[in-house]
Amino acid sequence: MIQLLHRFVWRDPARRARKLLDFAQTEADGGRDLVRAAELTQDPVLRRLYTVHAADEERHAALFRARGTELLRSLPDQSAAGLRLNWLAPGERGLDDLRVDEKTDAGLLAFLHLSEKTAARHFAVYADALRNDAPTTEVFRKILHDETFHMNYTLAQLNRVAPQQRRSHLWRARLGRLWKAYLRVMAAIAGVIGSVFLTLQYFILIPPFAFLAKRAERREPDGWKKAAEDRPLKSQY
Amino acid sequence: MRILGVSAHYHDAAAALVIDGMPVAAVQEERLSRRKNDAAFPLAAIEYCLDHAGLEPDDLDAVVFYERPMLKFDRILTCALRAFPKSWRSFPHAMKNSLSEKLWVRGIISSHLGVARDKILFTDHHRSHAAAAFLTAPVREAAILTADGVGEWATLTVGHGARGPDKTAITLLREIRFPHSLGMLYSTFTAYLGFQVNEGEYKVMGLASYGRPTMADSVRKVIKRAPDGAFRLDLDYFDFHTSAKRSFSQQFVDLFGPPRDPFDPIDLTTAEGQRFADCAASVQLVLEDILVDIARALQRETGLADLCLGGGVALNGVANARILAESGFERIFVPPSPGDAGCALGAALYADRIHFGNPDRDMPDHPYWGPAVESGELAGLARQDDLPVQEMEEEALIETVARDLFEGRIVGWMDGALELGPRALGHRSILTAPHTSQMRDRINRDIKHREQFRPFAPVVPAELAERYFEMPPGGARLARFMSGVFPVRPEWREKLAAITHVDGTARVQALERGMAPRLYALLEAYGRLSGIPILLNTSFNLSGEPIVNRAVEGYLTFRRCGMDVLVAGQTRVTKKAVMR
Repeated sequence: MIQLLHRFVWRDPARRARKLLDFAQTEADGGRDLVRAAELTQDPVLRRLYTVHAADEERHAALFRARGTELLRSLPDQSAAGLRLNWLAPGERGLDDLRVDEKTDAGLLAFLHLSEKTAARHFAVYADALRNDAPTTEVFRKILHDETFHMNYTLAQLNRVAPQQRRSHLWRARLGRLWKAYLRVMAAIAGVIGSVFLTLQYFILIPPFAFLAKRAERREPDGWKKAAEDRPLKSQY
Repeated sequence: MRILGVSAHYHDAAAALVIDGMPVAAVQEERLSRRKNDAAFPLAAIEYCLDHAGLEPDDLDAVVFYERPMLKFDRILTCALRAFPKSWRSFPHAMKNSLSEKLWVRGIISSHLGVARDKILFTDHHRSHAAAAFLTAPVREAAILTADGVGEWATLTVGHGARGPDKTAITLLREIRFPHSLGMLYSTFTAYLGFQVNEGEYKVMGLASYGRPTMADSVRKVIKRAPDGAFRLDLDYFDFHTSAKRSFSQQFVDLFGPPRDPFDPIDLTTAEGQRFADCAASVQLVLEDILVDIARALQRETGLADLCLGGGVALNGVANARILAESGFERIFVPPSPGDAGCALGAALYADRIHFGNPDRDMPDHPYWGPAVESGELAGLARQDDLPVQEMEEEALIETVARDLFEGRIVGWMDGALELGPRALGHRSILTAPHTSQMRDRINRDIKHREQFRPFAPVVPAELAERYFEMPPGGARLARFMSGVFPVRPEWREKLAAITHVDGTARVQALERGMAPRLYALLEAYGRLSGIPILLNTSFNLSGEPIVNRAVEGYLTFRRCGMDVLVAGQTRVTKKAVMR
């Protein structure tokens, strides 16, 4: 079922190209997060590993960008990307909101381990769904190879940094991701409700005021206006 | 009196602290949070400013926000009403955006800092720009011109300012209001040319040099001049007032052709690439023409010799140089941070001089208001990675680095306090020899990864600038903070190939010894070796990242790119290959 779904998501070449370009952006952002982690950690081993990891992410971004651009150029209508369906096929950490500054070394390693694991699973599925597009599959395969290293080093370092609390950090990271996913869904629902409510207001309440605003605009002369008076600094108006 | 200035919520959040009329600290949030163009409420920047001065929020006499949120909301709502029913899609987005945070600034400041609500003040956006430009300039009286995308309602203002022992005054005479905006015009073309708005405007300016203004008449169709010298945008060509997603309309596309896909590199050897360059050249020309006309009229009206320029449009060095050459003003002052970040400082100074009526003070004429770099931190980091570290006496360090540069190495240079503003002016810079185009290509390839059409800037001792560059009278002042673009003298272009743009110009930084003595000494030492005391100076960051602040950020940038040498204070670190 999942396979069928992903075949559908990736079938359209325009969407495929745009998604790869989105992935490139996500990887580049992920690389910057890892640089930040390297800047913040006091542990020289982690600093080195995060720096290598960041370089990997930058390379992944370049791979996705190159393939996405190549695909895009091969299309007759480059603008026809349609619906991206990002929530169905996110990139690496595409749906996570990582706050590096707020994490401890162990917390960040646990988070990275889980997120690399999820990304590896997703990329394997995408590679499988793209069997008839050999160059794109090859991109995913190359990246998957790095993800394995990322998964392993984050777990190994978690063992080194917090040998006694490894399990608890992983569980906390899992729960944290779940909580954030819940918050995202709730925020999205609230956003939709807010949009519906505001759109109704727009059509029900606003028309008379819009009429007045348009009339006032028509009466406004072109050109320079006298500068606004210097108002008291206590006022927000 | 202790006054904290704050800018936030749109782009480039910042905080600045003024004590007894003098700035003591100012920094952009992005430099501390490490998120490029961070617009979030600048808590880290505020914390730095207060820590630097040893203050608690309670010690502040006032906190000044750089614009009036309710007036801004008034503009957003009015524009949505005027665009009814076309604005139905953007309306919910705009309302949610404003109502979620941007409207409640007094509450946000009060809750974050714990200061009394009556200590929180608000200036007009363009008065903050005007104050940042005028109150930091070494002039007693000057005309003032501010221009950006939009503040509350104003998009461009003209006026004048006077500073004296008894009273300081900034008088704005008139303004042009949203949606008619030079900043929005330029940003619309930035988006059309496939660059990121509020970030890619430099690229449009760089690209313009490769084109001819063949579409200038078409640009003049979308921005029309009013009989009184103002201008108005023909809104049929724009969507920024009705849509949150696209700034240009289908009619705009019909006029200028299909927009560039952001992912498609610009190939200037193709007709399509040339069309984009011509488009950039056309909007640049029209922008310059309008600014020169407005500045010329202002000079005639005020009869003043000096002009202070503020707002994001003042970052356009090509336009600034034309204003200097053609408007009749003898000198132009552009602060190192004319955009919204500088408004934090402008708002604090405005409150100090004008709201509280404190006496005028002469301002230090430099941009270095941020955190200082610690060279010991760099040495520790490099030793942990077994990299060669040298901690040297000043003179030996300067001579060694000059030798590095002379031998073609790329040097990361961190010195003292961080600059405020978008330009690296010698405290967080990447420096190289400026002589060959190969060096420019190497920096592009190994470090900056940016488009080939973007130029690199030179730094030169101010006294020698005229030998290498065609600086008009007043040019050195404009070049103090890299705010003007001037021709490289033809006889030097070949020897300064890395910093000479395709049209023979360069965005010069003319450095006075007192502003950055160590960099000045390095220029002298390099001049003794090479015969030309000029270096290529580009900001110390990688693509998509903010300029580095602390030694660790410089160090990790150094490790991740093709830089050969890193200097922070008295510490010099090299990669092993360099030592060999």
